[in-house]
Amino acid sequence: MHTTTVRSPRALGPARKSFIRRNLPYLLIAPSVVMLLALIAYPLLFALRSSFYFWNLQIGPEPLQFVGFENYVQALNAFDFRAALTNTLILSILGTALEFIFGLAIALILLKALPGMNIVRALLILPTTIAPIVVGFLFRYLYDPGGGLLSWVLQSLWLPVPAEGILGSPSTALAAILFVDIWQWTPFFAIVLYASLLAVPDEILEAARLDRASAWTILMRIKLPLIKRTAIIIVMLRFMQIFNTFDTVLVLTRGGPGTSTRTLGYSLYEQGLVNFNIGLVSAMTWITVLIVNVIVALYVFFAFRNEEW
Amino acid sequence: MTIDIGNMSRRELLKSASVAALVAGAGSLAIPRRGAAQDANTVRVLSVEDPFFFSMKALVPEYEKETGIKVELESLSYDALQSRLVSAFVAKTSDADVIVVDQMWLGQYLDNGWIISLNDFIAKDSEFDLSDFIPEVLYSSNMWRGQVGTLPVAAYAQGVMYRKDVFDELGIAAPPTETSEDWTWTKYIDTLKSMEGKSFGGKPLFPTVVCGSQPSPIVHMFTQVSASHGANWFKSFPAAPWDFAPQLTSPAWIKSVEVYRQLYKLSPPEAINYVWFDAGTRFAKGDIGMFYWWTPYFYLIKNSGYMTGKKSDVMDKYATAALPKAEGVPQTVSLGGWSLGIPSSSERQEAGYAFIKWATSKATQKKMALWPDLNYQFSDFARVSLYEDEEVKAIYPYLDVQYAMMKQGNGKVTRPPVPGYTAVESVLGLTLNQLLTGTEEPKTGLERANSLFESILKGNLMIPYQKDSYADTLDGAKALIAKK
Repeated sequence: MHTTTVRSPRALGPARKSFIRRNLPYLLIAPSVVMLLALIAYPLLFALRSSFYFWNLQIGPEPLQFVGFENYVQALNAFDFRAALTNTLILSILGTALEFIFGLAIALILLKALPGMNIVRALLILPTTIAPIVVGFLFRYLYDPGGGLLSWVLQSLWLPVPAEGILGSPSTALAAILFVDIWQWTPFFAIVLYASLLAVPDEILEAARLDRASAWTILMRIKLPLIKRTAIIIVMLRFMQIFNTFDTVLVLTRGGPGTSTRTLGYSLYEQGLVNFNIGLVSAMTWITVLIVNVIVALYVFFAFRNEEW
Repeated sequence: MTIDIGNMSRRELLKSASVAALVAGAGSLAIPRRGAAQDANTVRVLSVEDPFFFSMKALVPEYEKETGIKVELESLSYDALQSRLVSAFVAKTSDADVIVVDQMWLGQYLDNGWIISLNDFIAKDSEFDLSDFIPEVLYSSNMWRGQVGTLPVAAYAQGVMYRKDVFDELGIAAPPTETSEDWTWTKYIDTLKSMEGKSFGGKPLFPTVVCGSQPSPIVHMFTQVSASHGANWFKSFPAAPWDFAPQLTSPAWIKSVEVYRQLYKLSPPEAINYVWFDAGTRFAKGDIGMFYWWTPYFYLIKNSGYMTGKKSDVMDKYATAALPKAEGVPQTVSLGGWSLGIPSSSERQEAGYAFIKWATSKATQKKMALWPDLNYQFSDFARVSLYEDEEVKAIYPYLDVQYAMMKQGNGKVTRPPVPGYTAVESVLGLTLNQLLTGTEEPKTGLERANSLFESILKGNLMIPYQKDSYADTLDGAKALIAKK
């Protein structure tokens, strides 16, 4: 007969018991660290290594040769990469700023106890729940110059619509993509900021009103400072998300006309999943990672300069 | 050193991880790992969703009933299919027993050993009649370095579609159904100009429509013009020895861009963003006089939208014609389409070959053509006998024009299916898209594209070419077909 001996914790020696007790926090966090290293650090390091090789899966399954920084030089010299970087920065900075401003405005309106506000709050969440690729198709029809709703509205308001259509003209195509992003993600800001504003203590607001502070002063001196931490975090998150814009560009314009709507996300998709140029796309990935991290690091430094953590 | 993880080596694991990371980055294109214990009576087919797929899918139950073999048929979009296939090949996973292969992928798939040659299967199969296939189609879409890598399930040429009623009302002579020295791109543009500024049925008429979206759609349409003008992509391909020095600055390319820009000026301005079916369905809306495009649009324009099955405004009002040619240059028609191949990783290659044989057979292709749903939408035959079949011709009256275009086809010249093709296509597509707007001279844009081509090709060790060349000629392909 097979027997199993189970040792109780009491049976552990004092030295081993002490080791576990001392290192318990590290042991508990170790699986998470391992997972993070495997899922984030390893792919990034692998991409770093690949970026120093000519390696195109269409030519062969193995890296062709070590080329130093040649892929980085090629990426930076490709005119579409520079255009993609410019477009991405425009979209990210303008998109984040406008979505924050509009989202804050909506959040402040939501605080008012107006009739029907419950329904408005429920409806607000809808755009953020739609997949970006579906939103892209939706707006493709809305922008259609042959009867699309948005084109029709602009023409009805005597506003000029390019003959090539809103998406067909280099002067309007990027703005059209920005508008789509604002339409979809402003509600995200509105809801998060609304939730934060609800947490602002009524007593402080009441005291300010008794001191006859204006609505503007209350907003700038009380409400915004009190929701600052939340605002900083969601602005950072959205900035990074918009930096990776890809789906809507693919569906609406494929980066055109010319390079007017090309983004870094779309360029990475094209080089990686269409051209299978692993070396070049790895270099482009690292350039993108560095740019995003520098921007985010600067943002975090200045945003949290006077904060205590 | 090899660290075994299941059956995967360390190198394979690295490759899988990198490709999976790339795929995950683009979202939703993960590699599905199938169970190892595949049913012996199942064949897995991975396809693209072009028109042939729908009629083939309709007939699969018939195949299952006849053979007792279950078919797992899955379809994806073009880009998703390519990503899925390459990811699976690099990771050496057995993702399917039969795959649909674009002609542009054939060279890389065979050179990398990702699919197997069908030569041995065909040689051993006494029933198989290779000579019924149009040689130009087999040469363009299925043969690489003397191997038959795939067999065609849908073959496309390009041809002209025009509105009979518009031409009649405006007193314009109908374009010819056969190639001739009188039917040139100059004449084609003159014909279009005679419709410029005119109305029809109380609505403004656009003389033509082009594809402007980058990279593939515009390259597919533009390269018909450039091939007609005798423009070559490379210094020497497919003739040996292969020399991939790009030739985009030649007068033929510059002339071709000028012709294409004229076509765009006669099109709806929003065509700058049109992909394949945007151009086709625009003609179906009824305000376009004439355009040229892949031959599947000979039937797709019967519908009000892509694969809707609802009749379009032009259903009974259009006819087809031959492609124009350039003055003094022998005509070359662009050939393309879809073919079926067997991954080397498949454990059921015999079953895969049996399915391919069935799907590309004359009997099945005819049944696909006669499948009535969606307004009869399959006439992309690669077999000569089907172009002579009266029952099929009664449904698809344009087959004589289509066959004539096929016989002038050469897909290896119009869009060379060389490994690394998509990388240079993306540069050309972007350049052409920029040149359409007319803000830059063709010469300057093409010089820039040529320089980028050279840089990409050198980086991929294609200049100088470091592998063996192969004298790839239509006559060579015909000789191989004749052996069977």
